[in-house]
Amino acid sequence: MKFQGLDNQIFLKLPEGVSINLIPAGITVRSCAYLYDFLIRTTIVAVVAFCFQLFGKAGVGLSLIVYFVIAWGYYIFFEAKDGRTPGKKKFKLKVVQDNGLPATLNHIIIRNLLRPADSFPFAYALGIITMACGKEFKRIGDWCGGTIVIYEENFVHTEIESGSEISAPEILLSTEEQQVIIAFAERSSTLSSQRQAELANILSKVLNVADESANEKLQQMARFYVGQDI
Amino acid sequence: MKQNQFVYINNERWQIFENDCADFQNPLPVEFAKNYRRICNDLSIARTRHYSPSLIDKLNNFVRLGQGRLYQGEGFKLRSLLNLFRQTFIQSLHENRFYLWAALVSFWGLAIISYVWVIVEPNAVYLFLDIDSVKKLETMYDPAGSVQSESRGTDSDVLMFGIYIYNNIGIAFQMFGGGALFCVGALIPLLFNSFYFGAVTAHIVNLGYQDNFFSFVITHGSFELTAIIIAGAAGCKIGYSLLNPGQYSRGYAIKQAGKSVLPLIVGAFIMLVIAAVIEAFWSPLDIPSLFKYVTGAICWFYVLSVLYKGMRYGYN
Repeated sequence: MKFQGLDNQIFLKLPEGVSINLIPAGITVRSCAYLYDFLIRTTIVAVVAFCFQLFGKAGVGLSLIVYFVIAWGYYIFFEAKDGRTPGKKKFKLKVVQDNGLPATLNHIIIRNLLRPADSFPFAYALGIITMACGKEFKRIGDWCGGTIVIYEENFVHTEIESGSEISAPEILLSTEEQQVIIAFAERSSTLSSQRQAELANILSKVLNVADESANEKLQQMARFYVGQDI
Repeated sequence: MKQNQFVYINNERWQIFENDCADFQNPLPVEFAKNYRRICNDLSIARTRHYSPSLIDKLNNFVRLGQGRLYQGEGFKLRSLLNLFRQTFIQSLHENRFYLWAALVSFWGLAIISYVWVIVEPNAVYLFLDIDSVKKLETMYDPAGSVQSESRGTDSDVLMFGIYIYNNIGIAFQMFGGGALFCVGALIPLLFNSFYFGAVTAHIVNLGYQDNFFSFVITHGSFELTAIIIAGAAGCKIGYSLLNPGQYSRGYAIKQAGKSVLPLIVGAFIMLVIAAVIEAFWSPLDIPSLFKYVTGAICWFYVLSVLYKGMRYGYN
């Protein structure tokens, strides 16, 4: 499959003989998820440390253990469970293997134990540089563990509004041109009517109509191409 | 076939498939794999027939959900961690024996060098440690006003346990992760610790506190020092795979290295937990040193025999 310019999709070949597309998550959204997780971790540690300080020396020891478990185990536990920490869940991200399959415990452990390398020398500087160097936004831990972080939901289902009018186009269009018109009709529910007319106006010379009626004409052509009411 | 007709024929099947994917409670129906392959087929048909992006996206999403469900991991279970250790640790020792030998030789070699150095030239200890830490060590192992041998309360045992877990395992993980930085992050702590260890031992021997010191460190030292060496070797392998990926690309080489050293770091983690338990609850006990030497000898024998057999033969 060809890459479609702006959206950063990767196409993975499956053993089933078909390729699927995934959208790897970039630096900003992953940083947001990290900060969200960081907030949760800090809160838990603070609360636990506050409770345990009532127990004197033993309490300090126990809160150190809790701190250790949360610092290293938080990511491993949640990501091994279903690939999502609370922060990643909030931003609709997911860790998967770089062949698109769900990540297993082994991948997750390696991915997270390499955080010291990524956070060298401070604030994940090296990890961010490494992420910026590739299309799949892998940090060092992702390279070593063989994982990527992807957007979980890239699917917005839109349908062409069914109308009574269908018109066979008077001009012959190539397959790709037909696809563009179908895509326009599918997207039109997310656009304002002025914007729809504006976009349709680009073709006004070919269609011999302008503004609202050009838009209407395109919608009718799209319905024809997808084969409504056959 | 026009798109709408295609959707009309298959829609019911897609609905059923989507419900199967969403239903995480029940086991998968028998025909799930077959349905999944049919969905894959639908997706490739939709692509070749140039159906609309929306339909392709929809089918793409079905395939993603389906494979997520079909190849689902088993989640986080301590048992699988333990199984990983039990089944592959020894094998991984054999696989990475050259790194382990290198780490063992450099750790113990440098420790011996610094030991001899401080024995010959007692003031050299101040090259490795500042005066305050030396004083602290002296009071710690002083037989007269001993902090260590008097029976401590349980609460300070727990405190020390927390410190050992947090500190020692943290260092091991840092070494493992830092090793990816072309070995530097693993080698520096490993070599620094070996110098430190040798110098401290020699200094204690110079002062004549050795009975107190050795009876304290001998038992947990077996697990702790070996685990630190293993973690360092594991980190070095990752870094070295980046420096010298051989016939693979660097991306592939680091992935393979990670896979091969994972059992080592899990093993080191388990050994360090054992060491922390011993160090916090057994080593400070106020009992005759002989008991400690005997258990220490048993522990060393066990650890070394597993290590040797693993590295030499790859089985236990």
